[in-house]
Amino acid sequence: MHAVTRRVLAGLGLVDRRSAVRAHPELVACEECDAVYRRPSLSAGAVARCARCGSTLGRGHLLAVDGQLALSSGALVVFVLANVSDIVTLNLRGVHAQVTLWESVWFTWLSGQEVVALLAGATAFAFPLAVILLRLYVLTPLAAGRRARGFVPAMRALRWMTRWSMVEVFLFGALVAIVKIGGLASVIPGVGIFSFGMLTLLLAANQAAGLHGIWQHAAKLPS
Amino acid sequence: MSTVASSASVPTAVSRGLLGCECCGLVSEVVAAADSASCPRCGFALRARKPQSLQRTAAYLLAAAVLYLPANTLPIMATASTLTGRESHTILGGIIELWHTGSWDLAFIVFIASIAVPILKIAALTLLAFTARRKSRWRQAERATLYRVLETVGHWSMLDVFVVVLLVGMVRFGAVASVEPGPGLLAFGGVVVLTMLASASFDPRLIWPEPATDD
Repeated sequence: MHAVTRRVLAGLGLVDRRSAVRAHPELVACEECDAVYRRPSLSAGAVARCARCGSTLGRGHLLAVDGQLALSSGALVVFVLANVSDIVTLNLRGVHAQVTLWESVWFTWLSGQEVVALLAGATAFAFPLAVILLRLYVLTPLAAGRRARGFVPAMRALRWMTRWSMVEVFLFGALVAIVKIGGLASVIPGVGIFSFGMLTLLLAANQAAGLHGIWQHAAKLPS
Repeated sequence: MSTVASSASVPTAVSRGLLGCECCGLVSEVVAAADSASCPRCGFALRARKPQSLQRTAAYLLAAAVLYLPANTLPIMATASTLTGRESHTILGGIIELWHTGSWDLAFIVFIASIAVPILKIAALTLLAFTARRKSRWRQAERATLYRVLETVGHWSMLDVFVVVLLVGMVRFGAVASVEPGPGLLAFGGVVVLTMLASASFDPRLIWPEPATDD
């Protein structure tokens, strides 16, 4: 069809102005340099890299969907533990003080730095929690052989929020804070900081595989 | 279709009329072109390159560079105690303090995360955006690696934000000792977020310009 004719028809709402596309699941395009390859079938633990720019094209997954689901469930339990437990207990000349992540964020808010409090609360609490819950939401039906309702928006949100989840940086920040405070008061590490350490490992294991594997797995299932 | 077979030995999706989805990774072929295309699997917009990638990267970088100055000159926190009185601390001051108390290893890590990473990130992304704009073929593989490193280490600059927030929560001994966040912390958090947005806006595929097209 002639381009102008098509544009007129589209303006009248008679044809869709979106291009017709055909999926090629047998191919893979490098996300960082656009080189295109035939999608390799990878054994567990194997990694395919782009021959031109070296970025990761795909991984052979060590964990199937139920394994990933187990990791996410574990992460949720540890997340709750990390947030209700004290990160440290301070002792200054007989006066004790405990602190959790939430109290720190709250007192930062009260001291007038609301935006910083929101930033810390979002990256150390809200986004990691959202990542864990979205993974559970997507993976639970998948393990039972179904696609979750709203699978696509959930996966898109997951992709965005994973980027802004910073539990590992928070853990390191807590270690630096403990060292800094060491000269002022005696510090006893609490259950919270060990839980954050555990959570860092679980989230790293969960995110190592990326999301493409879940997309491919779900594509084989009816919605 | 092999009329543009030049030095580029690697076939790209664009050169074959294919588009890789940035969201779910599915490769699609545009059968009948119209105004826009979306991924048949996830509905994300299909495009050869992120739109206005370099303009957006440059805008975020400029904003980050402007905030870098107050982030490093304004105090990120103030401590008050009966022993030492009231003191303001900048990022660099905190590092020097760690160094003097013997924690030179932590001083080094905080220096890397808070001073080196933000400034190197701004400089490196400026270099990447500049060379991409000129469609340069200079050290493409190294530039690709540089971008991957930036994406990996970028969020570690948030370290000092968490340190101050935790100190504010920990040190609450009334008149004896207390810590308050300072205005520099807001600027510093802004630098971290803006450099992360700059790096997310940059399309690494621009490091590898197509030989024949003028995209």
